[in-house]
Amino acid sequence: MRPRVYRRSDMAFGLIALGLAALALAGGHAALSRGASQARLAETAALVRAAGLTDLALFTEARYTRNPAMADLHTAFQDNPMAFEHFPSGTFAPRPASFGAGALGFDPAEVAR
Amino acid sequence: MICLETVTKLYNEGRPGEVRALNEVSLEIARDAVTVFKGPSGSGKTTLLSIVGCMTRPTSGRVSVDGHMVSGLPEKFLTAERRSTFGFVFQRFNLIRGLTVLENVMLPAAPLAGDPRKVAEAALARLAGLGLADKADTPVEHLSGGETQRAAIARALINDAKVLIADEPTANLDTELTHRFLDIVDELRGEGRTVIMTSHDPRIWESALVNDVVEMQDGRVTGAGA
Amino acid sequence: MKRFLRRQRALADYTLAALARRRVKNISLVAIFALVVFVVASAMLFSTALRHEAEATLEGAPELIVQNLVMGRHDMIEGSVAETLAGIRGVTRAEGRLWGYFYDSVNGANYTLMVPRDPGLVPGPGEAIIGEGIPRVREMGWDSAPLFLSRHPGDLVRFDVAERISSQAALVSADLILIGEDDFRSFFDLPQGVYTDIAVSIRNPREIDTIVDKAGALLPAARFITRDEIIRTYRKLFSWREGIMVALAGAAILAFAIFAAEKASGLSAEEAREIGILKAIGWDMTDVIAMKLWEGALVSVGAFLLGTVAAYLHVFLLDAGLFAPILKGWSVIYPDFALTPMIDGVQLTALFFLTVAPYVAATLVPIWRTAAADPDEVIR
Repeated sequence: MRPRVYRRSDMAFGLIALGLAALALAGGHAALSRGASQARLAETAALVRAAGLTDLALFTEARYTRNPAMADLHTAFQDNPMAFEHFPSGTFAPRPASFGAGALGFDPAEVAR
Repeated sequence: MICLETVTKLYNEGRPGEVRALNEVSLEIARDAVTVFKGPSGSGKTTLLSIVGCMTRPTSGRVSVDGHMVSGLPEKFLTAERRSTFGFVFQRFNLIRGLTVLENVMLPAAPLAGDPRKVAEAALARLAGLGLADKADTPVEHLSGGETQRAAIARALINDAKVLIADEPTANLDTELTHRFLDIVDELRGEGRTVIMTSHDPRIWESALVNDVVEMQDGRVTGAGA
Repeated sequence: MKRFLRRQRALADYTLAALARRRVKNISLVAIFALVVFVVASAMLFSTALRHEAEATLEGAPELIVQNLVMGRHDMIEGSVAETLAGIRGVTRAEGRLWGYFYDSVNGANYTLMVPRDPGLVPGPGEAIIGEGIPRVREMGWDSAPLFLSRHPGDLVRFDVAERISSQAALVSADLILIGEDDFRSFFDLPQGVYTDIAVSIRNPREIDTIVDKAGALLPAARFITRDEIIRTYRKLFSWREGIMVALAGAAILAFAIFAAEKASGLSAEEAREIGILKAIGWDMTDVIAMKLWEGALVSVGAFLLGTVAAYLHVFLLDAGLFAPILKGWSVIYPDFALTPMIDGVQLTALFFLTVAPYVAATLVPIWRTAAADPDEVIR
């Protein structure tokens, strides 16, 4: 008589456990890497302060993608008002938080008056 | 041990195509006996088997097993009753494809959470008793008709059922296998179990092993006797 | 408890055997499911890490930038504006910034030329400090190779490279060329006294808004950009509500919905019979349902773990290599940067529920009625 029966769930649960372990390992790796990256971030922040930078150099295709925080309303439409999007990274480069009062806006109170 | 009082069973109740499979059947089935339900197709014998084995609930009437009432039980309790008392062998055997013989035999025991090793030992012992020990790890698709039937019987008995229920067990078997089946029935009766079957086959209902033959026609019992 | 575990294992055994009958189909399902999770999780991990990077490094940006807008367009600003601003109480320093873009026709790259704020960083006359991307795209072989820029045909301006900025800071400086003020004005032919914008240092960060109000009164046509606004801009980088990420999120949700709908789409006759058989041999409704839940859970949790772990490896060990072509777009210079490994637990949990819950719930829909029925009716 064989005392041991092969169980499929052994393998399945084993794989799931492996996956969970891998995920935990990833979390541990992230936690441990924090120290090393602090130094790198500090060095980068120091350069930002020394040079007076305001943006990441992530999308160097166009002006409004290279310095999205500085971008004015005009540059995106510089060639043709209907040519909405030239550059691929324009689809995910963020817009600045505001275009400032000197943009196309007006004060509704003024208009009412 | 199993009592039916004016049991009626309707299928598709209230809808067009309503079928009255059983009509006010009253019956008593003795313990430690071999009982056969006989009758033409559509006589309701398979339905009667289902009612007796707690596979389905009657539309009206009462069923009791060993004195306690089962016909009004909710699904969960009915299953518990079925599981502890009855073992089924279906006409088409209904083993689960893709599993081995051993896995099929152990299947009814899965929800009962016994020690898997003990269950496996019991399954192998039963398979050995039925001459299937060497086929334990064979996928069930590769078995012959007779081997499939014996595997189905082993599955029916894994939880030590007191009553074995079989629907047309020899319908697809030749004479020799039919005799072997009757030998198995004899052994089971010797173990103190009750056997209830339906059959078309005269070799079954005329066998000396059979204690009771219940004749059915159009959903009614027309005759009972040995 | 032991019985409960034993029962669950036995039910899981059965469900795996049932899945194994269609091995290829089910493995493909897990693979595709995992792929969708992989793409979404990669995007999630990458964008969280990048946003963190932006916030951490741009803390050093000037507190306030003042731009001159003419017809809504950013124009050069007079140096005298800096004196006006320096006069506001709370302002420690206000000086013009000089920066601009140069299109290099040799390779189609855009460089950012800039005069650093900190005098200690300003290189000598004729010298430049360059970012790590420039030697790469100009194929400047040896360390002291000079940089030649041509503003128009026949023109050649030479800069000796005083220093190459370390690639640790690549994310902010890959295309940067830092030069002295005189070199800058002569390169762009800029008269004295005009600047690109004014950078203002403010001692107390809480006073920034008040100072902006005062400055706005003094300079009504100017545009003011605070450090807070800069950082807020970058919080929108790869946010799920913006641009291409909305498309990605939509596609992923659609994929998960399709998986779940396929699962919920109904029981084949064979599956229904099988449930009937299980019930006939002694499984009750909760056993059947538990067994089905195991099927849904094993597939979806397995796919989730596979996709998420692969995403972590992709983003942090392979530097999100699959995204690079998309992010690069038409840029010639793409910074060679590493990201801080980090996991946002909240987003990951949300992804887990989005992956697992609909799928597992969908496994229950088709079988509920069959699991509850009397087995006799199912087998017939």
